Amino acid sequence: MSDDRFEEFLREAAEHYHVPPEVPREDMWIAIAEARRRSVRRTRRPDWRAWGIGIAAALAIGVGIGRISVGARPLVPVASAPTPAGEAPGIPVAYQVATADHLGRVEVFLTGFRADARSGRTGTDVTPDARDLLATTRLLLDSPVSDDFVLRDLLEDVELVLTQIAQYSGRPDSSELGLIDDSIDQRSVLFRLHSATDATPDGMPYQGAL
Amino acid sequence: MDDRSLIARVQAGDPGAERLLYDRHVGGVYRLAYRMTGDTDLAREYTQETFIRAFERIEQFRGDAALGTWIRTIAGTVVLNGLRKVKRFRQREVELDEGVAHAVTPRSAEPDLKERLEQAIEGLPTKYRMVFVMHDVEGYTHEEIGAALGMPAGTSKAQLFRARARLREALSDFAGEWAS
Repeated sequence: MSDDRFEEFLREAAEHYHVPPEVPREDMWIAIAEARRRSVRRTRRPDWRAWGIGIAAALAIGVGIGRISVGARPLVPVASAPTPAGEAPGIPVAYQVATADHLGRVEVFLTGFRADARSGRTGTDVTPDARDLLATTRLLLDSPVSDDFVLRDLLEDVELVLTQIAQYSGRPDSSELGLIDDSIDQRSVLFRLHSATDATPDGMPYQGAL
Repeated sequence: MDDRSLIARVQAGDPGAERLLYDRHVGGVYRLAYRMTGDTDLAREYTQETFIRAFERIEQFRGDAALGTWIRTIAGTVVLNGLRKVKRFRQREVELDEGVAHAVTPRSAEPDLKERLEQAIEGLPTKYRMVFVMHDVEGYTHEEIGAALGMPAGTSKAQLFRARARLREALSDFAGEWAS
């Protein structure tokens, strides 16, 4: 058997290796244009970073002082200020988008959960959503996103809270709701989620965190 | 519009020229990314990253190489780096896929040539695989591969030779297919 025949055979056979589908030109172009637009905004307005850090730090300190003054809740460590725009070295764009979307959904879910819990309307119907969000959180923790220590820290806290909610028995008289509430408070989870997803001045939800 | 004029217009910030550049080269970049990953999401991500980097660096492009070669160089770097980063995830995916395949495939079934070839190509070291895919599947010359991967054309030839030797060994059960 000659080398030439093998090479010919190999070329023919390899044509079927990972045959590319139709190129998603428009979708990719939109994503590229969006990423470039964000990049230009970051380059032109670097002062927003300082503003972002300052605002986040001021809010965190304010929350801390408020808690001391009313004495209703224990002083918690100042929440980690989310890394401002452009601080996502090495995290692929797809992961950034997925993380931003996920954190936004977690924020909405936890806000709703808390409101329901405080009005005594919480039941086990929240656990499937909590499990879904928990699964995504764990996937993100096992992704390049976790290379960013601020995000990893936030995701780990989100994981803890969601685990508690996923295991919630639905008994309104139990201490479970109080423990969940404390977990959300003690690590300032909602505040950090809000800062991470919505605190950017230019309205790009994931720039505040990623 | 030739490459030189196109580059000048892109460097001047002409959005139409940017789109033209993208349209001219996106097919090749995406094909290479998909051939290397076999995954639409990763192929999209690598293609997007390639063009984001290209547009970011177009100011530095002096035309020492052809525009296509320059873009392939970026694509090669993005794909190789990306594959390293996701290697852990890919391995997990392969394990899961194999688990599913074992669950639904009768034990007596032997892998056919296509499946065995795919496994053999996947088993090549990443750079050998890249050279093999670029040359034998996508039809690049050794000069183009060398330029894209930052190595002499001779190294590309040597890596292709080794890749083929490994594939030949892995496919020895099917020798009759090419010996007949």
